[in-house]
Amino acid sequence: MPDPVALWELENVTKRFGGVVANDRVSLRLFGGQIHGLLGENGSGKSTLIKTLCGAHQPESGRILRAGQPVTLADPIAARRAGIATVFQEFSLVPTLSVAENVFLGRLPLRRGRQIDWARMREDARRVLASMSVKIDCDAVVGELSVANQQLVEIAKALAVDATMIVLDEPTAALGIEEIVRLHALLRRLRDQGRAILYISHRLDEVVDLVDAITILKNGRVSSSAEESRIELSYIVQSMVGDVGEHYPKERNATDEVLFRASGLSTANRVRDVSFEVRRGEVFGLGGVLGSGRTEVARAIFGVDRLVAGSMTLRGEPFRPSGPPSAIHGGVALVPENRKADGLFFNFTGFPNVSIASLGKLGAYGTIRLRTEREAGRRLVRDLDITPTAEERLVGTLSGGNQQKIIVARWLFADAELFVLDEPTQGIDIGAKIAVYRLMNRLTAAGKGVLLISSDHDELLAMSDRIGIMSHGRLVGVHLPKELDVTSLVRASTGPGPPAQKEIVA
Amino acid sequence: MKRFLALPFAGPLLALVVVAAAVALTTARFLEAGNLSNLVLQVSIIAIVAIGSSFVIFTGGIDLSPGSMIALLTMVFALTVKMGEFPLAVGVLVVLVLGTGLGLLNGLLTAYLRIPSFITTLAALSAFRGIAFMFNNGSPIFSVSPDLERIFYGTLVGIPLPLFYVVVLYAAAFWFLRNTAAGRAVYAVGGSSSAARLSGISVRRVQLLAFLVAGLSAAIGSVLMAARLNSGSPNYGVGMELSAIAAAVIGGASLSGGRGNIVNTVLGALTIVIVQNGLNLNAVPTSAQNVVVGAIIVLAVGIDMWRAEIGQAMSFFSSSKGDNPARSTT
Repeated sequence: MPDPVALWELENVTKRFGGVVANDRVSLRLFGGQIHGLLGENGSGKSTLIKTLCGAHQPESGRILRAGQPVTLADPIAARRAGIATVFQEFSLVPTLSVAENVFLGRLPLRRGRQIDWARMREDARRVLASMSVKIDCDAVVGELSVANQQLVEIAKALAVDATMIVLDEPTAALGIEEIVRLHALLRRLRDQGRAILYISHRLDEVVDLVDAITILKNGRVSSSAEESRIELSYIVQSMVGDVGEHYPKERNATDEVLFRASGLSTANRVRDVSFEVRRGEVFGLGGVLGSGRTEVARAIFGVDRLVAGSMTLRGEPFRPSGPPSAIHGGVALVPENRKADGLFFNFTGFPNVSIASLGKLGAYGTIRLRTEREAGRRLVRDLDITPTAEERLVGTLSGGNQQKIIVARWLFADAELFVLDEPTQGIDIGAKIAVYRLMNRLTAAGKGVLLISSDHDELLAMSDRIGIMSHGRLVGVHLPKELDVTSLVRASTGPGPPAQKEIVA
Repeated sequence: MKRFLALPFAGPLLALVVVAAAVALTTARFLEAGNLSNLVLQVSIIAIVAIGSSFVIFTGGIDLSPGSMIALLTMVFALTVKMGEFPLAVGVLVVLVLGTGLGLLNGLLTAYLRIPSFITTLAALSAFRGIAFMFNNGSPIFSVSPDLERIFYGTLVGIPLPLFYVVVLYAAAFWFLRNTAAGRAVYAVGGSSSAARLSGISVRRVQLLAFLVAGLSAAIGSVLMAARLNSGSPNYGVGMELSAIAAAVIGGASLSGGRGNIVNTVLGALTIVIVQNGLNLNAVPTSAQNVVVGAIIVLAVGIDMWRAEIGQAMSFFSSSKGDNPARSTT
């Protein structure tokens, strides 16, 4: 048993954003000499918790304790001084500086006269790297290192300030298998030196191998604390997602008529020989981990990325989009994963957001009749149960569910037939999610086809008529939902495959 | 009062009234008829040039070149009409076509070679004026044509012609931005170029369009500038780009793009010109005037930036995740 006084402890930490409770009385005890896994689905509150730990957020209530003593982490610098080093997915390295300079950034060793003591800095950097048993030239320019080595530099930075806790957020997302093995070996060594390590990852199989304790979050709360968690895949999945299928109003509308067919799709950015078809009235689910190539399939269908091999048909006719305009013209809709950056126009109210993809329908010779726009907007607002205030309010002030509906309304107005929904319910509350599911039912009832990309396994299982699983750019299997459960879905999509194409991410 | 403040032009109009009142308090000469009609003439050129600057700003870009373009175009105009002895109408046509062409050049470099508009137009600011100095040994050309001044000083039913130009051009720009698909696309690109692209809008073509409008409006401004003193000069238009940008920003346009009303730009132009006029009437030296204009621009842009910050604070709770198309392709 570890020492009863935790090295670091979060006690009933609560953090709210507007009306949304991101962390609800979360407690977490981190011991030296332990690797602690923090798990949970997207939106479960992991990111908020990490940001609280690294000083970027301040908890509204609750305390953070170091060795039993309350501390305030007023900002990231204070957190670092207190001994917490965080390695984010996005590194905080300066790509144009050397490894040694990055390791000691902000606290370069000085000689008299405030000159940089280069010799000492390089020697210290070499010592830190050697303590990690990694071979990286301390004079190398960071931007020229591989992603895996950049991550090691980031960890070296943590060790150089003698951090007592190292937080790693999805550290393996961009790594290949061998690099993951090496990273894990390093983390075990650091653990054996008595440091506390908090490890966040979507890849459950590797978590099971690595960690000594697990805390699982769900909807902002601890659903399974370190004391109760069993380090076992099926237990973890159960605690992460809860009871399956409680709020999915799925209607079966699939027909036998093929609406869209992809044959041997390959792109320059990850997609390899992907073939599937979407029938009218069908929801074809696409599962797989982050970076498995699902979003890239969507981009290829929408004409954003060019095909290097393969072909597509839409309504039985060859479909070769030269770009988004021709994909839209052909009847394809893309509801992008990141609706804030790629979907919505925050400078517009609701209706211009709806009409933007088919302005040609609003008048002749490139003109716009505002009355036509208003009438169409009001009709869609009524049809899709969008708040009537969308007419006057900027879309940024609407709820996530209403925002998502506005994007769907955009494509209904554009007469799309194949709806590619990329993570359509990410970051919206449960009521809005159900509204999006109802919308999917309406689309399929109207004979349209839906390609649903989702990392929410429950959602994928409950709302799809068939599920294709992507791994490392390939479609590795197509199943009926009843042939799968959450555990087998997770296994199938997170199983070890060929090394990831890490260069693409770099 | 509350209802008035909700109107889209309330802020810029309020700023204009406050500035005008302040100037009127410092000098009685401000409200004299002669001064007011002079103001109309003064504001017309800035206001017309600011149409183009506003278009570019609405798409999220910036145009630093119109001042230099005016220098170049007035020289070309004077050469064509005086040295080339072409009719006035031909000179006007040459200027309009050439100005649009220079706008096209800015647009091509920005949209298709993906050089930030700040850089392309900064380079153009330097180059256009450089070319202007290559003509006529760098000296101004005077007495271009006896008929030229009428373009600027003429009246129609007792109303100065420049007022008509401003009204007609602003009405056209307003209609275009409000009632055409291309106008809507200008705001869409400024709001989110990636969302615009995924909505089937050709972002490049829209950027190009904005620079074409900028070139054309600077060309129209050049004709008026040449007509005002019946001359062409490589020294014309110094600082015009700043005045035009300030007009748009005081009019409420966001420098991050996507927001702004073209009609407010004219209010912004009036505000700038009244400030300059007030300083003139109070015998403030030109050097100090430049400082004041600089301060106004910083203030207006500052307000714009704080506005963006407030918006950012409100959209702070945004989820972030990998699997993101922008990362996987770059």
